[in-house]
Amino acid sequence: MNISAESLAIFGGAIALAGGLAGAAIGMAMAGYSGVAILAEEPKHMKSVIILAALPMSRVFYGFIILVFILTTVLPRITAMPDPGGNGFAVAACGVISAAAFSFSGIHQGAVCSAGIASLIKTRGRILTNSIMLAVFVELIAVLGLVFTIMSLSLLGLM
Amino acid sequence: MIIDPAALATLGGTISLAGGLVGSSWGMAVAGSAGVAMLSQDPKQRKNVIILASLPMSRVFYSFIIMILIINTVAPELSTAAEPQGAGFAVLAMGIMASVAFAVSGIYQGSVCAAGIAFLSKTNGHILTNSITLAVFVELVAVLGLVFTIIALNMMGLM
Repeated sequence: MNISAESLAIFGGAIALAGGLAGAAIGMAMAGYSGVAILAEEPKHMKSVIILAALPMSRVFYGFIILVFILTTVLPRITAMPDPGGNGFAVAACGVISAAAFSFSGIHQGAVCSAGIASLIKTRGRILTNSIMLAVFVELIAVLGLVFTIMSLSLLGLM
Repeated sequence: MIIDPAALATLGGTISLAGGLVGSSWGMAVAGSAGVAMLSQDPKQRKNVIILASLPMSRVFYSFIIMILIINTVAPELSTAAEPQGAGFAVLAMGIMASVAFAVSGIYQGSVCAAGIAFLSKTNGHILTNSITLAVFVELVAVLGLVFTIIALNMMGLM
């Protein structure tokens, strides 16, 4: 088995998307099961529950952006290098950074959304805005993970 | 030890099928154990319990699609390529990514379905629609994992 720099770079992209998928699935499920409990009490909060439970889904698209960047931009650069050296491993490490950002922020944004959903009945739906605001704080970590991954790839001269 | 790239790609396909099988069996078991408890106190909810407990089963078919695609299309492409250059390892990475998506989303969709099942007798079965809606959010992650794996294999020129 001969692992080339290109395939290590693709591995990094795949890890980033896997982290995004895992974070989104766990976060949406955490918000989803408190949503089911609230809807059993009060079915008219359906709209607010759907909004709050869908927030962690963005991780999937962030992870996909990283994978597409690596496949379309980073890969041709590495192929064009006469001696890629450890560049493939560096790209895999960047993928691990963004996978950690997406999965942790997805899981814990799910916890924030689930707390918001649990208080929907008590506040008659008015908690929606505030809990979206607090969930966006966690969203920011995922966006910063995306931006810093792209920044470090361009500092490595690979974009 | 030299591992043939086509063999590595096939390993990726089987890992993705393994992830799908683990996700669906675990998710259906989580929903099923809540279903047994619900049916012992209200046997007439059996239809709803069967619908909710069978939702995580779709992972098996998604991951089987990936394995068939890899064995039928990607592996012959790799064995005829003049110089695969570690493309087999990249396909293995795609398989691991799909397997993470299927396993995590299956397990956590099972917990959403279990929450839905737990409220069936309290709401006389009215929670069914809402809990299917929230479970479909988690299903979306698995579908996106399938689609993005196929898109990534396509971008690598292996399909």
